[in-house]
Amino acid sequence: MLNATITPLAAQTECTVEQIGTADLLVGVPSFNNADTIGHVVRAVRAGLAKYFPDRRAVLVNADGGSSDGTPSIVADTLVDFEVLFIGDRQSPLHRIVTPYHGIPGKGSAFRTIFEIAKRLNVQACAVVDSDLRSITPEWIELLLRPIVQEGFDYVAPFYQRHKYDGTITNSIAYPLTRALYGYQVRQPIGGDFGFSGDLARHYLNRHVWESDVARFGIDIWMTTEALTSGARVCQSFLGAKIHNPKDPAADLSDMLAQVTGALFSLMETHPAAWIPVRASEPVPLFGFQYETGVEPIHVNVDRMLEVFQQGLQDLQPIWSRMLSEESMAQLNALQGVSTTAFRMPDTLWVQVIYDTALSYHAGVLPKDHLLKALTPLYLGRTASFVLQTQGLTTREAEHHIESLCRTFESRKEYLVTRWP
Amino acid sequence: MTSQWIETLLEPVAVLGRQTLAIVPNVLAMSLLLLAGVGTAWFAGHAVERFLRVIGLDRVSDRLGLTSTFLRGGIKSAPSHLIGRTIHWLILLFASIASLEALHIDSISRLTHATVAYIPHLVIATLIGITGYLISNFVAQGVLIAAVNAGLPPARLIASAARWTIQLLSVAMALEQLGIAEHIVAVGFGITWGGIVFAAALAFGLGGKDLARSFLERRLAAPLHGSSHDDVHHH
Repeated sequence: MLNATITPLAAQTECTVEQIGTADLLVGVPSFNNADTIGHVVRAVRAGLAKYFPDRRAVLVNADGGSSDGTPSIVADTLVDFEVLFIGDRQSPLHRIVTPYHGIPGKGSAFRTIFEIAKRLNVQACAVVDSDLRSITPEWIELLLRPIVQEGFDYVAPFYQRHKYDGTITNSIAYPLTRALYGYQVRQPIGGDFGFSGDLARHYLNRHVWESDVARFGIDIWMTTEALTSGARVCQSFLGAKIHNPKDPAADLSDMLAQVTGALFSLMETHPAAWIPVRASEPVPLFGFQYETGVEPIHVNVDRMLEVFQQGLQDLQPIWSRMLSEESMAQLNALQGVSTTAFRMPDTLWVQVIYDTALSYHAGVLPKDHLLKALTPLYLGRTASFVLQTQGLTTREAEHHIESLCRTFESRKEYLVTRWP
Repeated sequence: MTSQWIETLLEPVAVLGRQTLAIVPNVLAMSLLLLAGVGTAWFAGHAVERFLRVIGLDRVSDRLGLTSTFLRGGIKSAPSHLIGRTIHWLILLFASIASLEALHIDSISRLTHATVAYIPHLVIATLIGITGYLISNFVAQGVLIAAVNAGLPPARLIASAARWTIQLLSVAMALEQLGIAEHIVAVGFGITWGGIVFAAALAFGLGGKDLARSFLERRLAAPLHGSSHDDVHHH
């Protein structure tokens, strides 16, 4: 019988892991057809490990989902000219493991392979970074690993400098909800680049979630929430701007939103004892030198967002009526036909919409996929409202609005708790 | 003469009496079976209803949108109650058939045999109808949400089209199972797909006529132009 606690590795990978034996640090890079960016990521990781951890035995693991563009060979062949980086005292060679991953296709399964290798090599600290990053520097590796190696933290979440309209799912749902639920102000809970201890990697591996949606998507919020609920010491590191390969945001918005909210709501069901008693939040330590960076401008089509919202208000009325409270519906209906300039979705309404949806998810009033995807027009309405509210404001000023939303999430948490069965 | 008259008059009465006496045990058996059937139907109907309520069928039905659909159709009963009642009436139907069999009357027996043989078809057709109805609701809801999220203005129309396509298909399959209009599925498919292909071809042709014209002009006009050039060249 297959031992549920052992993740199968490819035969070649098993051999390589056995040859390496043990290591101190591991950096994982999940990939799928990232030939144009992964070379830069690998160079940054190599330089970071050589510069900041020259005396540590380190391993770079690339868990690939079957790329057809030569991504694994780029990982295997990329070289770094240490001299131009003034790195001269590299003492330990960097081992590279390029491996396919098993299981359901997705980032989660790639992470599972990385966790398994970390466990077998008995590493002290790990970091995972996205393979489509263009702004990663060697300093990221230090910032993600140093708090674990030196300060005794278990989990390092990223803290990016982002445009006020970049990461709107994080700003309007993931951050405020995680903060209100678990009481920790982790600004980028679904950032994608994390550091964690070897112990936490083992904890992740022992959770039986690898056949669920976590294996496909939602791994980022799952890792953060598991860290928060397991009592791990959590901190953040300032990484500067996050610039990655452009994706068409409209193409998979509904899926992305469903993945993040589905993971959040599902974790609420898994850890009720961890969030129900919490009534306030506390800051999480932040490492790194903070500075202002130029961020890429983002064009937002507010009219288009409001069109989808208004259409949802007309066509999805029967579905929304089943997942939202009468009070929320009354307030939403009042927004019907409101002009673009006058359109505002108040924080209190948005918070109630999210709490109602979480309650409906738990009660199973609709098939989960339908429920989560029916949230898209509401989210677009809220995002349009945020854009209209913060037009002309700097990113720092817009941050005050996000802070205000977080406080509303916290102050109205009683609404959720009293209705949670 | 008088005794002959009396004999002639009483003979039919005697025959009737004998026949009546012969059928009495059968009638008694029929009554007993019917009575047992009524009791069993009442008990089983209530037991099934209670069991389904305990395991949360009504909640699942709520979640699938079945309860609200029933409400829209004027059915206010919970699904557990509906299934309980169905079981009740099915048992009653079987009991009635069995009790009629007990009369041992040929014409009734033939009728009951034919009815019993038809019941599996009826059950399968009902299941097909219910399944088709549930699937159509589920698919239509998913299509509606996806269409709204994609910003397609005729979202409701698209969802209705999906719902009716599935429901029509399931009704056609149910009718086939019942032996009514047995070729309706094949013909229906033929007509539907033919219609879709024709509509798509028409839409493509009308929508892309300018594109097609420019494509044809490029393909055909270029050689013509080239040939005239050649002509000029050779001239």
